[in-house]
This record gives sequence, C-alpha cells and structure tokens, in this order.
Amino acid sequence: VLHTTRQLHTTQQSLAPVPPLPEKGGEVRHGLIPEEFFQFLYPKTGVTGPYMLGTGLILYLLSKEIYVVNHETVAAASILSVIIYGVKKFGPDVAAFADKLNEDKIAHATAVKNEAIESLQKAIEEEKKEQWRVEGRTYLFDAKRNNITMLLETNYRERLMMVYNEVKKRLDYQVALQNLRRQKEQDHMIDWVEKNVVKSITPQQQKESIAKCILDLKALSKGAHTAV
Amino acid sequence: MAGRRAALKAVDWAAFSERVPPNQRAMFNALKTRSDALTARLAALPEKPPAIDWAYYKANVAKAGMVDEFQKKFSALKIPEPVDTESAKIDAQEKEAAKSSAEYIQASKARIAQYEQQLQKFKNMIPFEQMTYEDLHEAFPETKLDKEKYPYWPHKPIAEL
Repeated sequence: VLHTTRQLHTTQQSLAPVPPLPEKGGEVRHGLIPEEFFQFLYPKTGVTGPYMLGTGLILYLLSKEIYVVNHETVAAASILSVIIYGVKKFGPDVAAFADKLNEDKIAHATAVKNEAIESLQKAIEEEKKEQWRVEGRTYLFDAKRNNITMLLETNYRERLMMVYNEVKKRLDYQVALQNLRRQKEQDHMIDWVEKNVVKSITPQQQKESIAKCILDLKALSKGAHTAV
Repeated sequence: MAGRRAALKAVDWAAFSERVPPNQRAMFNALKTRSDALTARLAALPEKPPAIDWAYYKANVAKAGMVDEFQKKFSALKIPEPVDTESAKIDAQEKEAAKSSAEYIQASKARIAQYEQQLQKFKNMIPFEQMTYEDLHEAFPETKLDKEKYPYWPHKPIAEL
C-alpha cells in the first residue's frame, strides 16, 4: 500500500478526532528501499532498473575502493546476519505480544464503557417501572374506603341484631315465666287435692274398705285355689 | 337510608398486588388479610334481623298491653347509623399522596433525563482506538492524573497503581 498523504492542519479548522494512523507503514522492498523508488524508475527502466542501478553503484564503490573492505566489513556482515535472523524468526511473536498488550487495555476500557451504558439503561427502566407503580396508588385508597364502608355496615347490622335479640329475650322471658307459673300452680293444686282426699278418708271408711279388701282377697284366693 | 349504602368499589387485588414494590409487601399482605376478615364478617351477618312474631306473643303473654307496648316501641325505634369519622382523613391522605407522587414523578423524570444525557454521551464517544490520552481524560474525568496533588510520577498514590 502506498503511503497516502494524511490531511493534518492543512486548513484553519482542526480535524478532530484525528483520523487514525494507517494499519501498516509504507511498503518497503528488502527492508530498506521504499516502493515509491521502484515505481519512480519503472516508466524509464522497467522492472530491473533499480536493481541494475543498485548493482552498478555497489560495484563502483567496491572497485574504486570508495568503500574499503576491511575487518569491520566482516564484523558488520556477521552482526547484520544475526540481527536479520533474529528479526525474521522472533519478529511476529514479539509483534503479537505487543498488540495483545494494547488490545487488553482497549478491551478493559470498552468493558467499562459497556457496563456503564447497561447500568444507565437499567436505571432508566427502573425509574419508568417506579412511575408505573406510583400510578397504582388509587387501589390503595379504594381498598381503604371499602374497609371503612364494610366496618360501618357491619356495625350497623350488629346493632340491629342486638336490638332484635334483646326484645326477643324479654318477650320469651315473659312467656317462660308464665309457663313456669302455670306449671307450679298445677302441681300445687294436684298436691292439695290429693292431700285433701287422703285426709277425708275417715277411720270408719278405712275400716270398711279394709274389710272389703279382705273379703275380696278371700274370694280371689278361693278362686285361685280352685284354678290351680 | 341514604348514607348507608355507600357501595363497595370492586378492588382488583391482582392488579394491586402487581404494583406493590417488594419492600412494601408485608404492609400489602396485612391490608389484604384485614380486608378479607372484614368481608367475611360482613358476609356472616344477615342484612335484616328476622321479624318478631307479634301474633304468637300476643296470644301467649298474659300481661295485657305489654306486647302491644313492646311492638309500638320496637317499630318506633330508629337505630342510629354509625358515624363516619375516617373518610375525611382518607381523602386528605389521598390528596397528599397525589401531591407527593406528582413530586416523585417529577424527580424521577429529572433523573431519567440525566441518565439519558449520560447515555448519549457514551453512545457518541469516539472509539478507543482513535483516542488520545487527552480525549480519554475528557470522556472519563477520573482517569486524569492530578499533577498538582502528586507532582512526582506516577501522579497517584502507590496503592492505586
């Protein structure tokens, strides 16, 4: 990907938020030479142009001894090869690790943000629910008024019942009293009549009745004898 | 008998029960049991007491005129209805409740507006990948490091690292 120019503070207005950095840097060949150079030479010299230029330059430097080969060349060569080997082998892992660090931070922040959003939404819902609940207060007062009406009505009816019961009790008492009196009078009279009758049995009459009884008994016993 | 028959309004206990918040359940249950007890008591009493059989008593009670006197007095008797002292209080309570609930709803709406505002702020935030630290401190003021109170790095008490 060629490096596109980023618009930054070209006008008076500042661009906010700052547009994000591109994901990858500009394309580079052999880790050193940017792609734009090859593209620049392509119209004139085609694909092999820059390589020919590079080879020519290096041969010129070596042959004219502008660059002298000495012990430092060997040192440079070994160091560079080790470095390049290390980067090629461990580069991706290190990059992934660094990326992961960043991602963790961002994930943590997004989690916080999402939690905040959720809790706000829940709070809004709760408030709406509470408002709905408040609307139900009429029920409470209806129930209270009903209770009062029922109490009054119950009280009234109880009073009616009480009056009825009292009156009835008194009337029944009178009736019962009368009946009792009657009963007592009857019993007393019966007793009195009996007593008088018993009193009026004179001794003469007693003797006569006893003699009669004895005669009756004798007659009966005679009859019984013959029967047996 | 005009004041007597204040009709009982049907109370929808199911709907009422739904609207009761959990912390007032006990009070609601107490109210319901009381209402039910009252209804039961009311249902147990007959509306009118049975009529007294005056003819029977007249035939049986010997004392002359006693039954007649009783009958006269009984039919002339007017039983006073119990006086309603509490309805006024209930109405006053209801008015007060209406006022306080209106206030509560106002406060609740204000709270909702606040929450909505914060929600909008969160929804309109730029994604974290494009934020600088300055943007982060704007969006979440609690992340800002207090350089006056703690002038030396790490600008916050070590316990909060």
